[in-house]
Amino acid sequence: MITVNGETYPWQEGMTVSDALKACNYKFPLIIVRIDGRLIPRDQYAVQPVEDNADIKAFHLISGG
Amino acid sequence: MSCGTKCTVQEMRKAHKVLAEYDYELGKVERGYNNRTLYVNLSDNRIESKAVSQEMKDIFIGGRGFGLKLLWDAVKETTKWNDPENEIIISPGPIGGITQYPGAGKSLVVSISPLTGAIADSNVGGYFGPLLKFSGWDALEIQGKAQADVIVYIDGNSGKVTIEDAPDEEVNSHILAEQLTEMYADSESDKRNVSVVSSGMAGQHSLMGMLNFSFYDVRRKLARLKQAGRGGIGTVFRDKHIKALVVKFSNVKGDSNGPADIERIAKAGLKVHKELHDYDDVQCRMRKQGTAHLPGIAHDYDFLPVHNFRYGSHPEARKVTGIVWEQLFTQGIPDGCWYGCTMGCAKAVDNFMPLTGPYKGERVTVDGPEYETISCCGTNLGIFDPHAIVEINFYVDTYGIDSISFGTATAFAMECFELGLIDKNATGGLDFRFGSALSVLEALHQMARGEGFGRIIGQGVRRMKKHFAEAYGADAQLLADIGMECKGLEYSGYVSKGSLAQQGGYGLTLKGAQHDEAWLIFMDAVNRQIPTFEDKAEALYYFPMFRTWFGLNGLCKLPWNDVEPADNAETDEPAKVPGHVQNYVDIFSGVTGREISKEDIIRMSEAMYDFQRLFNLRLGYGTRVHDDIPYRSQGPVLDVEYLSRADKYDKELKEAVGFDPEGKTVAEKIHALKSYRKDQYEKLKDAVYKRRGWTPDGIPKLETVKRLRIDFPDVVALINKHAK
Amino acid sequence: MKIIGKKPELCTACHACENACSQAWFKVQDIGLSCIEVREAAAGSGKTAVTVCDQCGECIDICPVSAISRQQNSIVRISKKECVGCYSCVGFCPASAMHMHRNQLVPFKCVACGVCTKVCPTGAIYLEEV
Repeated sequence: MITVNGETYPWQEGMTVSDALKACNYKFPLIIVRIDGRLIPRDQYAVQPVEDNADIKAFHLISGG
Repeated sequence: MSCGTKCTVQEMRKAHKVLAEYDYELGKVERGYNNRTLYVNLSDNRIESKAVSQEMKDIFIGGRGFGLKLLWDAVKETTKWNDPENEIIISPGPIGGITQYPGAGKSLVVSISPLTGAIADSNVGGYFGPLLKFSGWDALEIQGKAQADVIVYIDGNSGKVTIEDAPDEEVNSHILAEQLTEMYADSESDKRNVSVVSSGMAGQHSLMGMLNFSFYDVRRKLARLKQAGRGGIGTVFRDKHIKALVVKFSNVKGDSNGPADIERIAKAGLKVHKELHDYDDVQCRMRKQGTAHLPGIAHDYDFLPVHNFRYGSHPEARKVTGIVWEQLFTQGIPDGCWYGCTMGCAKAVDNFMPLTGPYKGERVTVDGPEYETISCCGTNLGIFDPHAIVEINFYVDTYGIDSISFGTATAFAMECFELGLIDKNATGGLDFRFGSALSVLEALHQMARGEGFGRIIGQGVRRMKKHFAEAYGADAQLLADIGMECKGLEYSGYVSKGSLAQQGGYGLTLKGAQHDEAWLIFMDAVNRQIPTFEDKAEALYYFPMFRTWFGLNGLCKLPWNDVEPADNAETDEPAKVPGHVQNYVDIFSGVTGREISKEDIIRMSEAMYDFQRLFNLRLGYGTRVHDDIPYRSQGPVLDVEYLSRADKYDKELKEAVGFDPEGKTVAEKIHALKSYRKDQYEKLKDAVYKRRGWTPDGIPKLETVKRLRIDFPDVVALINKHAK
Repeated sequence: MKIIGKKPELCTACHACENACSQAWFKVQDIGLSCIEVREAAAGSGKTAVTVCDQCGECIDICPVSAISRQQNSIVRISKKECVGCYSCVGFCPASAMHMHRNQLVPFKCVACGVCTKVCPTGAIYLEEV
């Protein structure tokens, strides 16, 4: 089980940050991810593993007209 | 002698009769200011120069602030939008006109709104504001009413202002802007030195008239249009019998704004140019899609308005996502609405052929669509056909009406038709079900002609509610719940049901239901960064104040946060984009020579924010009750709405409201949720007023206006009057 | 067309080219006013990078007033008369070879005049036909 922005989602073996964002249907391009407080660079989302029980904050920035 | 509609530009100009002429000394802009404003009275054809005091610069800054100051001095508490003493003021602000920083050529327009009766302000691109300033004027203030259509022409090359009778030119903007650009430019290469402000036929037959500000596109070789949309200022413009305002200045250079330290500005600008060059393709794609990148995101996160804000997403939304628009927009053209804007979001559809209306079958260039037009005039009407959306976009622009108010008012009318509150008898036979694009276009053409159901829609949601109740006996409470306006201004294109903070972002505003003060849906509903009332109140303090500053200075909001510096994630408060806030400190200081801090930005804005709130109070508005919002913006009104997100609402009833939804009817659940959410909104009002230093009735306290140095005698008298 | 070719590995960072360039175009010896730039490739790398325009022309499309154009000899030039000093081209140059200076209201770039190549003692830069 992982937590993203306070909501829980099932954890899977080999899960990456990109997978976790996908599980939440988070498609916005300007998302800042911290796992247990640690900032993950955006270019690492596709490869950065997510451990079971991870607490993820996915901060969507503001954009738009 | 008039030559009618078929005459040449030369013949049209010959028909101009000069009603007034005013010669002035050309000056040089010093540190962002000319220290004078231009006053034009159309009733008695008077043209004067007014001095700008140091106090006016210190407190009112420029742009919207100058508009508020000049309007405050010009009107009475009883002044209505169509009284001659109401004014239209256009001002670019001290930063407006620099070419080294993206989004720095905005004009701010202020007037008393026909829709709200209170203050309307609108932020618009195009070249008018900068060219006005370089012609020698920090603002253009127009009062009075002409007897017949006139043009006000400011020649910044020779130092002459004229008021000219203009009987023959077209009224609709896409033609008028072309005619006047050709008329006043000396040559093809001089055309970019001319900018035109105009409205259109629907501007004069509705209350939601808009102003088009032109900028000549040297590649497409035509006058492009940007819109001062909100609040119906185009209606005031046409009511004053203004056909157009024209300015010409032919020597724009990098230092035309007279900056104190141009290197400081250029360095800040270069950083943003590089960010856009390096990251825009993977961030917002503003350079390729403009704000049209947003419908897909709005759909993904359930805040894309569909069917008059009933829903936040729709299966057909994929037909109107960013990539669709990217393919329709001509690519590879700078598309900045002022020099140096490398965000370049002023996208256009070229060689478009309308299928209806007076320009049917012609080839036209359509400016846009932007997100608001796609959502308000598209998805919210159940229209997912890009061609239909572009056609509506084309006609609302050239007819001079606000695409947001038009779309939201039309969505309301469509829902009333769907619910049987009105029928074909009311619509004049138009099938007004959601998705009926041809009916929408017909209503739009009617609005331009001042006829039929289109004319009714043009009165806006607030007046339609009253009309439908009185003329057709429609349920007034239901109309109130689904009529998406606040203060008389129609909602822009975001569904706020999922975010209490955004409900405040729409309701706890100055001019009405517009998201330009605070857009908090992600912070509140997705990130869950601001859970308490105090957190939300802080956001509804900081962001409106911060964003007001753009309007004081002639800036665009988009380069602030639609591109992100590489190190933004590592900063303390990424949502504020601290790197870009520092840029604004640098460019303000670099232009004016007045060294400021980032806290000063908030202080400067807050003074103007509260002044505008008090201006509304002076005109009979600006209190707590005027911050009420329709329930559709807070929660589900209809069974279908509730049922479409039933799990979410049931969970909220159980966990937050303490109401067990088990075995209850949908109507009972809607009622319980409504009571709870409306109460939450009242609590939000309390928290926000407290944070802003206002009374529980939403009026700035005396101590607040003293702190902000706007405790002028008439302001203090106004506050004291309401304290009793 | 002719461009300035370069072999940075031969460069001794004497900056003679930069002085010659600024002298030729701005009548001063100021490497900040040179259209060719010799800098350390990366801090501590000991290697030298030579930055100069290759006349690719991407700047032509970014200019809001079409002040940049390709001449008949294929060289990309800026019209000072038309330029509004926005520096968009500086930010968008893929080679970082468009320059700005606090005393100049318009950006400047290499037009492959070859003055710099004549003073290069090692042949690290040279006029090249491409």
